[in-house]
Formats: sequence, structure tokens, C-alpha cells
Amino acid sequence: MWIADKYIDYVKEQTQEKPGETWDKMLLGFKANKLRMKLLPKKGLAKGYQKLEAMMMSFVADSLGRPDSYVWGNIFSPCEIMHSIGLSTLSIECLSCYFSGYHLEDYFIDYAQNTGIAPTLCSYHKTFVGAIDSGAVPVPEYAVTTSLSCDGNLNTFRYLEKKKGVPFTFLDVPYGDDEASVDYLAAQLRSFAEELAGRFGKTFREEELREVLRIENETREELLKFLRLQSERYYPGEMISHLYMMMGTHLLMGTKEFLELVRFMNEDIKTYPKLEGKKIFWVHLLPFYQETLQKYLNCNPDYQIIASDIIIDSMEKLDPEHPFHALAKKIIRNLYNGSYSHKADMVANLADMLKPGAVIQFCHWGCKQSSGGSLLLKERMQEMGIPMLILDGDGIDRRNSHDGQIKTRLEAFLEMLDSDQSVRKIS
Amino acid sequence: MIGYICKYAPVEVFASMGVEMKRIEPNVTNFNQAEMKMHPNICSFAKGVLEELTRTDYEGVILTTCCDSIRRLYDVLKEEFPDKFIYMLDTPRITKEAGTALYEQRIRAMIRAYEAFSGKTFEEGRFGAYLQEKQKEQRRREEKVQKKGAASIGILGARANESIREILEKEGAYVAFDLTCTGLERKLLYDEKEVLPEYTRGLLSQFPCMRMEQAANRDELIRRYADSVDGIIYHTVQFCDNYAYEYAWLRSWLGRPLLLLETDYTRQSYGQILTRIQAFLESLETKKKKPQIRLEGKTAMYVMGIDSGSTSTNAVIMDGDRKIKAFSVVRTGAKSGVSAQRALEEVLRKASLTRADISWIVSTGYGRVSIPFADENVTEISCHGKGAHYFNPKIRTILDIGGQDSKGIKLNEAGEVKDFVMNDKCAAGTGRFLEMIARTLEVSLDELGAIALTSKEKIEITSMCSVFAESEVISLIANNREKADIARGVCNAIANKAFGLLRRVGMEPEFMMTGGVAKNPGVVRAVEEKIGASLYICEEPEIVGATGAALYALEQISA
Repeated sequence: MWIADKYIDYVKEQTQEKPGETWDKMLLGFKANKLRMKLLPKKGLAKGYQKLEAMMMSFVADSLGRPDSYVWGNIFSPCEIMHSIGLSTLSIECLSCYFSGYHLEDYFIDYAQNTGIAPTLCSYHKTFVGAIDSGAVPVPEYAVTTSLSCDGNLNTFRYLEKKKGVPFTFLDVPYGDDEASVDYLAAQLRSFAEELAGRFGKTFREEELREVLRIENETREELLKFLRLQSERYYPGEMISHLYMMMGTHLLMGTKEFLELVRFMNEDIKTYPKLEGKKIFWVHLLPFYQETLQKYLNCNPDYQIIASDIIIDSMEKLDPEHPFHALAKKIIRNLYNGSYSHKADMVANLADMLKPGAVIQFCHWGCKQSSGGSLLLKERMQEMGIPMLILDGDGIDRRNSHDGQIKTRLEAFLEMLDSDQSVRKIS
Repeated sequence: MIGYICKYAPVEVFASMGVEMKRIEPNVTNFNQAEMKMHPNICSFAKGVLEELTRTDYEGVILTTCCDSIRRLYDVLKEEFPDKFIYMLDTPRITKEAGTALYEQRIRAMIRAYEAFSGKTFEEGRFGAYLQEKQKEQRRREEKVQKKGAASIGILGARANESIREILEKEGAYVAFDLTCTGLERKLLYDEKEVLPEYTRGLLSQFPCMRMEQAANRDELIRRYADSVDGIIYHTVQFCDNYAYEYAWLRSWLGRPLLLLETDYTRQSYGQILTRIQAFLESLETKKKKPQIRLEGKTAMYVMGIDSGSTSTNAVIMDGDRKIKAFSVVRTGAKSGVSAQRALEEVLRKASLTRADISWIVSTGYGRVSIPFADENVTEISCHGKGAHYFNPKIRTILDIGGQDSKGIKLNEAGEVKDFVMNDKCAAGTGRFLEMIARTLEVSLDELGAIALTSKEKIEITSMCSVFAESEVISLIANNREKADIARGVCNAIANKAFGLLRRVGMEPEFMMTGGVAKNPGVVRAVEEKIGASLYICEEPEIVGATGAALYALEQISA
């Protein structure tokens, strides 16, 4: 995330001194960055990823610029419902990442912890709570969260409802995948759609939601095509590109512009050379700021991240005729819901399809639902003959990731992969 | 025997089938199994349950989808114990009719699964009879009586293990309520026409836990409960983050004495819990007059306070006019009892007195219970409060950084402790951390503070963990950075931690710093810069606790 360094420092300093008086400056920076991405895209990055980054910059800057146009959500909120009534969803996880563009995450995290929020909580949630609680960031009219995929969701939204008066809808996602669960969630989704439209003075039309789901089905087809192509061709991207992709598949799913972008990427990638390097499947969040990981994984023909579970956590084809049931099924069958063996199955399916040479799981500080099963996933990958590395660190708080440790583990793992290949070549 | 962990688990269903149901209360010494099978950063309770299961022979376990850690615990247990009845009961978070209906279906499915597993059968009639019997028992138990004069304490937050209750009862406090995960007596509803649906409704309408949607009602319920007690212990489990939100929220409006207590379900944490609970009870009881000891025919009167800390043991002798007659500071060796004896001998020598001249001795500090010659012991938190007030009555906020822990203490105008916070089980921001870094920089502890003041360039030490911070310092040395600049960076890191503690306790001026680290000019300056106010530091900051203990001793004496 690039904004002139001096401006970043200036906004950071001012925000720490007077939180609440710098929002306009922060917003200006996001807008400037949006323009810059359009005029001066990052060199070395594949064209599709350049466009993706520009799209995400515009999306956030434009939404934040019109406070009555968006709701807060978590990354698993049904953005389809928001689209169908002309609203956008800004997920708290993504917003935290954007605030970290001003290197404000440490200030916000300390702010939250000093209020009494647990230091062991996920840093995305701490950053967000600190940003809002300190008054640095204004609040929208409404919010929505699912219980998927972590405990932090309900608690963070409830805390901000009490402290800052942002009302929200809580969608309780059952653990089990059966008809009763689907009915239970579908009923919640339907009443949410009506509640939301009412609050924003709009009308909810089921046909519009159906159309969103049709576009989503098409997008998912295109996306799977793209991931297959990316496991065959060297398509230079950065770690943060995968986070932008996750934003796209969660916050812009079902929009025409995102569908167009994935179509473009599918054409564009065909112009790139064959991938000769190692194919890495990434599990969970990507610490985009981490030096060593950047060095090895950003635009490097030797090691390419070909896909991540956070991008394609749902493979569900949606039935537009029953939109709420379709969305309920999508959420319940999400890779992050239910037992860990369900997740391992889905990762295994993706591995079957994309044939990665290695899997890296990043255990993000505070994320129990992901870290707690990492060893089970490793066993499963080993059964499939795919080497897997578990890294510990923090997706956003630099103070919780130790570069030296990550470097040693990553390099040893890559050496192991390389030597494996040489053995194969000899035999 | 089937284990369970959550108040929403339908234990009566199994009990009516003749199954012995046991609430799992891990009491372990390590997490060796759990850290191998799960991940170190999973909630300590979940790790404890896994350890417990590997040690005790349960037929199975009923888990609920209560939180992320328990969901992952299920995955691991399922794999580890394929022959046991490991069941994940999907518990709705919505308690309205839709939630109740779904939960009833889930419970029925669970019953079928257990029937298939065990060959036993569930009968609704027997279940109904069992419920009625239980209801009667509950009514009989509800007639509890509070002891007169005892401080009454409520427990809130995440599941609290028995030791908290035990300590409270041992210290003479009365536990008025326990609203933690499995603390509250469950609500049993019975309707002969709709036995299971009504029972399910009862389960879901219990005092809501933080995972429930309607937990918003908790505020009103907590307000009512809180008004009935002298103080509240808010318990959280290490790596369980859900309840900290509520603690942060409650402290902004509840207006009752509130102690945040974090435990990790290991036996080792007992000592830490004890100090915090005792200090909390002391702060509640400041107004109560203690029994006094009569002086028998002595003309001059002396008392002594002795503070047995992790780094130094300090003793103070005070006369009847609240004047310090002498003090001693000795390094604490491997045995705190031996160091205490040395501190005693030295202070008596300095005061030219004998042990017989001392009417009453109060011990404080981590080693306070291991001092055989002390007449009573008081926690270091209360003693620091009293001591600080003695040296400067204007002090309202104390920062005490000792060898192994750091504390923020808030006082009222009478010098009574109103609130306190302590660092967690972590060396970051303590004296030990400074010692570690001084060793790495190859300077003495005294030099470290002095050279920090000569620094010209600002370096930031970002790691929060002391081990990581040490590696960071090593790489700074490798990059040829100036020692003075690194030293200043380290002092700033400590100041940041300290600032966090002070903010949590409330930043009311004037400020005082006590403990050995207050002698370090580098840290003092860094803290002053961070809080934007000056720190009052008395001549010998290490004896503030011992002075407070001596003052406690003096209060016991009536001339």
C-alpha cells in the first residue's frame, strides 16, 4: 500500500495526538492512492493484479467517501444482499489492513489493549476496535456479521454497538450441514435483507438478488479457471495481491465489474510464460509486510503462490431460484465452517485440482480456529505427499512476527523442497 | 462416565439414562500433549481438557460449539480417541423459538447417536421423572446463608476453576454468585406434555454467555447482581478473548470494585492468583478495623516491615511516631527465607536494636509466606499503596516495576488501594528484562540507564516479547548501532508497557514510581516522556513496600 512516506508519518503522528481530527486526511490519502494506482501501476506486477489493486483502492476510497453507501461487515457477510439493494460492504478485516497503510495498527492495538481488550485477540479485530474506540474513524449507520468464522465477530460488533451505537444484525451460522441448518440460516438472511432495506429507505427485490447470484456463479467458474491457469503460468503477484483477491471474492462477489476483471485476468494470464518454479498453496492470511516472505514470494518465478484457501473458501453453485437458501448453503458449507476435517477435505480437493508442490499455513496471532487445526491439516497433506510448513506470526502487527524465525523456517523449507526435486531429477 | 464442559450441555438427558456425568475441571502441570496436537495459542482451558482426557478414562465427552478453541478441541479429540463417544453438539446462539427448535432437533440426534454407541435407551418418561427430582433438590439447596461481616464477592467472566472459590473461602470471603460458564446452577424447566422442548427452552434461557446473541441482556442482569456484593472478580482464561470485551465494557460503567484475574488452568498459577485475590480483598476491607495488639510494659515501641521480592529483600524499622529508624536492602538469593534473615539482621544492626525490641512484624512481597519470624503478611500491592502515601500523600497513581512483575496501583486521598493491574506471566517490561538486555549489551544495570540518557538517535524496539526483543537487540548490535541508542530504545519499550498498565488503572496525577527499576534514570525519563508528567521517586524506591508493611504493623499496635 503506497502513499508518500512523509504523508504517512504526518497522518500517523497527528492521529496519535488527536484521534478524531485526522479522518479527512486519512481519507485524502486513500483517494490519492486510488489515483496513483490508476496512473502509475506497480512495475513488475501482472496486469491483472495491477487492475485488481486499483479496483480495491477505488472500492474502499469511494465507499468511505460516502458514509451512507456502506455497512460494516465481516469478511463472510453476505455481500450479495448488500449489492442487491445498492449498498457496499466494508469488512472490518480489510479496513484494519487499510489503516495499517498509515502504520497506525500499533497505536490502535495498544489503544484497544489498554482499554482491557485481550492481548491474545486477533490483531485485525484489535486494530479495528482501537481505530473506532479511539474516535479516529467515523462509524456507519449499520453493520452485519456472521458467527463464521471466529468468536471475535459477534464480540467485536457487539462491543462497538454498545460503545459507539452502531446497530448490527447477527447471523448465527450453524455448525452442521443439514436441511434444518439451512432453513434456520435462510430465515435469518431473509429478515436481514428486509431489515437492511428498511433502514436505508430502500426496497428489497428478490429478482435483483437472483441476478447477483447468477453473476456470482459465472464469476466462480471464471475464478476456478483462473486458478488452474495460475498453477501453470508464471503470473507475477505479491502477497498483498492475494489479499486483494480475497477482498474481491468476498466483498465484490456478484458484481459485474469483478466478473469482468476475472475474465480479463483469464485472457491476460495466457500471455505469460509457463511456470517453472515451485507452486505453493497458501493457507490462511498473508502477512503482506513481512520482509523475508516478500523477498521469496513477491513476483518471484522460482516460488509462486498459485492459490489460497481464503480466496476460494466456497465452491458452492448457487440456485438463483431460492436465493436465501442458496446463500445459506454457501455460508454453511464454507471451508471455515464446521469441523476441521471438512476444511481438510476442501483443501485436499483444491490440492487435487491445482497440484501444488507445497502448502504453507500461516498461523495468525490470535486465530484459534485456524491455528488449532494446523497439525491436523499437516497430517492430511503428508498423507497426500505434499510437504507443508506451518509459520507463526501476525497478519498485521509487525511486533508479533519475528523475521529471524520466519526466515529460518521458510528457507529451511524451501531448501527441503529444492533438494526433493534434485533427488527426483537424479532418480 | 461422560465429561462435559458447558452449561448448555444437556447433562440430565444422559443422567436419566444412568450415565455418570462429570464436569471437566482440568488441573494440570503442563500442556505437553496439547501443544503437540493443537497449537500453543489455543485457549488454556481447551488445552487442559485435552490433557485431562489423556489421563482419565472417560467413556466420552459432550462438547458444544461454544468457541473456536473448543471446535478445534473436538477435531483433535475425534482423531485421538476414535473409540470414544466424542460428540459435538451444535448449540444455536439465537435463543428465540427458531433456536430452541433447532437445538431440540440437535439434542434428539445426539440421543440417537448415543443409543447407537452405548446400546442404552432414552425414555422420555424416565427423563421427566428425573427432572422433577432434580428440581426438588435445587429448591432445597437454594437456602444458603451469608456469613456476617465477610466480604461478599461475585465471580463473572469465563469459566473459573475451583481454586478461585477455594481461595476466597479460605480468606473468609463469601461467594455470593458465580456467573461464569459452568458456575451457575442450571435452570431446569419441566412440562409433562412437552418434556424435551421445555427442557431445551430452559437450557437456552440460562444466564446468557458471551457467545449468545442476546448476551446484551447480560448488562442489566450483571448490574442487578453487582449491586448486591462488595466486589467482583472478573475471570478470564489465557487465550480466551471473548470475555475481555465485557471486562473492557463493564469497567467503563459498572462502578463497583472489579478485579481482572487471568488464569491458565495450571497448578503453577496458584501463587499469582492468591496474591491478586488477597490484595483485592484487602482493598475492600480497608474500612474495617482490625484487632489491635497491646504493648505490655514496653517504653519505646518499634515495628518492622519486610518485603521479600524476587530481586531484593528489604526491611524497614519504624518507631511509634511513624519515623523510619533504619532500613536494609539485600539481594534475594535462592532461598527467600535466608535473605529475609539477612535483611532482618542488617536492619537490627543499623538500628542498634534486637529482635525482642520489635513488637510486630508484617511481611509482604512474593516470599511473604516464607518468612518464619513475621507475625502476619499483607500483599505488596496494599503495602506499596500505604508506603507511597506515607512518602507523599499527593500520590494517586503508582507504577511499581520490580524484578519479575510490574504493577499499576491507584490510590484514593487516604492512600487506600482503589484499583490495581499487574502484568501477565511475561517478563516484558520488568526488571528482569532490563537485566537480560544489560547482559546482552555488556554493560552493568546502572550503566544501562545512564548511557540511555546520552543517546542521540531514536531506535524503536518493536517486539513485545522479551525473548524476541533480545534477538532484536542482538541484530541491532550486529548492525553496529550505538549502545546508548539501543539502551534508550529498551527504556522506551519498558515505558510503553508501563504506560499501558497506567492507562488501564487510570492516569490520575500525581505519579510515583517504586521498585528497583525506579533507580534507572533512563527508564524514569522514558516513562515521564510517555505520560507527560513527572514521577515522584523517593530516596530509596526499593523500600516503599517494606515501609507500607511497617505501617500496617503500626496499625496493629495500640499504645
